[in-house]
Amino acid sequence: MQTASGNLDGYRILDLTTEPGFLAGKLLAELGADVIKIEPPGGDPARRRGPFVGGATDPERSVLWLALNTSKRGITLDLDHRRGREVFLALCRHADAVIESAGPGDATSLIARGLGYETLRAVNPKLVVCSISPFGQNGPYSRYRGSDITAVAMGGNMYPTGNPDRAPVRCSLPVAYYHGGIEAAVAVVFALWGRETTGEGQLVDVSLQEAMLMPNMTSPAQFPLTGFKGGRIGGGFRGGRAAFRELWPSADGYVSFALRGGPARIPGIIALVKYMDENGMAPDCLKNRDWPAYNHNLITQPEVNEIEAALGAFFRSKTTSELFAAACERNLMLAPANTARETRASRQLAAREFFVELDDPSRGITLTYAGAFAKSDVGGVGMRAPAPRLGEHNAVVYNALGLDAAALAAEGAI
Amino acid sequence: MAQLFAGLKVLEFGGGAAGPLGTRYFADHGATVVRVESKQRPDFIRLLRYTPGAEGGLDASHMFAMVNVNKYGIALNMSHPKGTEIARRLVRWADVVAENFAPKAMAKWGLDYQSLTAIKPDLVMISTCLNGQTGPDRNYPGFGGQGSALSGFNHLTGWPDREPLGPYGTITDSLSPRFVALLVASALLRRRRTGKGQYIDLSQVEGGVVCLSENILTYTATGEMLGRLGNRSRHAAPHGAFRCAAKGEDDDRWVTIAVHDDTDWERYRRALGDPAWAADARFATTAARLANVDELERQVEAWTRQRSAEEAMSTLQAAGIDAGVVANFEDLNQDPQLAHRRHFREVEHRVIGKHLAEMLAMRFAQTPGEIRMPAPCLGEHSEYVYRELLGMSADEYGALQADGVFS
Repeated sequence: MQTASGNLDGYRILDLTTEPGFLAGKLLAELGADVIKIEPPGGDPARRRGPFVGGATDPERSVLWLALNTSKRGITLDLDHRRGREVFLALCRHADAVIESAGPGDATSLIARGLGYETLRAVNPKLVVCSISPFGQNGPYSRYRGSDITAVAMGGNMYPTGNPDRAPVRCSLPVAYYHGGIEAAVAVVFALWGRETTGEGQLVDVSLQEAMLMPNMTSPAQFPLTGFKGGRIGGGFRGGRAAFRELWPSADGYVSFALRGGPARIPGIIALVKYMDENGMAPDCLKNRDWPAYNHNLITQPEVNEIEAALGAFFRSKTTSELFAAACERNLMLAPANTARETRASRQLAAREFFVELDDPSRGITLTYAGAFAKSDVGGVGMRAPAPRLGEHNAVVYNALGLDAAALAAEGAI
Repeated sequence: MAQLFAGLKVLEFGGGAAGPLGTRYFADHGATVVRVESKQRPDFIRLLRYTPGAEGGLDASHMFAMVNVNKYGIALNMSHPKGTEIARRLVRWADVVAENFAPKAMAKWGLDYQSLTAIKPDLVMISTCLNGQTGPDRNYPGFGGQGSALSGFNHLTGWPDREPLGPYGTITDSLSPRFVALLVASALLRRRRTGKGQYIDLSQVEGGVVCLSENILTYTATGEMLGRLGNRSRHAAPHGAFRCAAKGEDDDRWVTIAVHDDTDWERYRRALGDPAWAADARFATTAARLANVDELERQVEAWTRQRSAEEAMSTLQAAGIDAGVVANFEDLNQDPQLAHRRHFREVEHRVIGKHLAEMLAMRFAQTPGEIRMPAPCLGEHSEYVYRELLGMSADEYGALQADGVFS
């Protein structure tokens, strides 16, 4: 567990997000900010989502909740209750930033609740307000709904992902929330930096749709030039004249390897040919090719097919771990398509002490988490505490504001 | 209001997308970002030409131009005996050094953090490579494709009865830049508070695995390994992409539909005009719809097949249903929401002429990011940076140039 001071020590952030924004607050908290997760009195919907640690439905043991709300403190507050709104404004007076993830068309958004930026600014001009939404705060689709699948689709990353004979497909976990969540954390810190100069906060608007454009790696901006709309070719990519495979069955799993060119990659192809030859599995089409001059935009499909047939036969003859060990030893650009079990077993992650085992005495469980997203020589990046229990910090947070948590509870405000 | 990072000085080594897109966050918001390049070891995306044979050489890569807008570019031959000394002078000028070489490179030149703090004690430096700066596999030479595979995104993308697929593009190359921006900006806040710099080691694989925390914790806490679900959800149905009517010749048109709960289901039924099939008890609750999902999806697609993706989206959204066109790259260029946000901006590049560049996903009310200048040609700003920013005399600059240091 991380105990060193972090880059964001001393900042307080109110986290109103649901699942689309969980990661933003987690990252800020794991840089040292005091992130206070504000849940409605009934609890965040993620608490009702399985799977649950131990199997039985329990709002304190949802894996989704536990995984993405670490290091935050947690309070309950009813923003639809008159007194609850006053308490929220009091919290805003003592906070540096607020993050929300309900779009402007959603009844639970700050703007729909009459708690838009101008209202919050009136109580605290230094406050940074970051609103994550499916499409942004303004524009023709701003009131549209959009969960991960729709944001990935409207961001153009789904159409080119998948097999040609089936529908476009998304990652089974919500990558738009990850891209958008980190973007929102950046937005908050950037605005806090700006505040150092101006003394004032500002509103920042993060669109999940727009966050999903970057993964397309400039293909959208290249469209007027290339006319390339995208297209599904299975686990692979498209060069200038041919389609290439990128995911291959090994003897016991899948590995990633592609015939991409360029000076940084060609030595890896040459090293693979040598490795195959040592195993008697490199035909002439591999051995006789002028690899230093190779350009994946110029090779033709029949040539690719011949080379890929040889690669496929070789990869199937070895296990994933044999191939990855060889890749590390011989600098091949080949990697396993890891499952969670394989990631957990990674020797590299073990050597870097990436995984963190955290005692959670109030729940009576000890869990192993994905750990710090980076390392700093001054420390301070990483997990502070397990995700909060419902209302766990009500007393300490409200009492610090000079409020009586018990009285607020009796009023129905929290 | 001045740009957020006006006055900030960033020195960048490396190439590709994961590092350079990270420093672009600062460049778009007013920082002076100087890219150090060389003709001996050009950034590989300068070589990813759409038309490899055409004129323009290393300056005609559209991808490079799109990734690197708003930056200054200088040439510095690090193999030249005087190259590293000049690099050290650049570091003295900079607030931030960002690099994404393999771990050995900076140390080989004596430009590792420890050496650099001797000349710039409060330096903020970030190194980002696939596996991080330490550990047995630190030198493993991977790109985004391998980052995606190692982090677990590939295994989770595709159909349960088929092999894994990479998500299009390279996902860790678009997660990592955001981590770079977050880490550097937070380090600058700390430097402002304490006067101290820091060294940050971002492993692109670890960043990806943290995003997939739910994947890891599901396994470590319950023993279950998540896998590929196609487009389905374990918590909602229908949840998928459904084929729509052709658009002219194009029969590859799809719309997403996600019905998250029973309230959504009522709205969805009404939007379809309460068809008889939807009143069936087999679809009445989320649990029932999940149990009968094959039949449900056939019914959903029978409706979408009769209309364009755009019509399906607007009909369903008008009823409050989460739905969207599965946009191809042409659609994105015509998307009214992206147009409203001015996502695509036209830039005039010295060699390739007019091209589009894309904006980030965040909009600041007071300090909008802007594209102020095109990506640099290789060495385009050498004279400006060495003479004006470093204060080199004309004689020294001329001598070093004649000596081949700036190539």
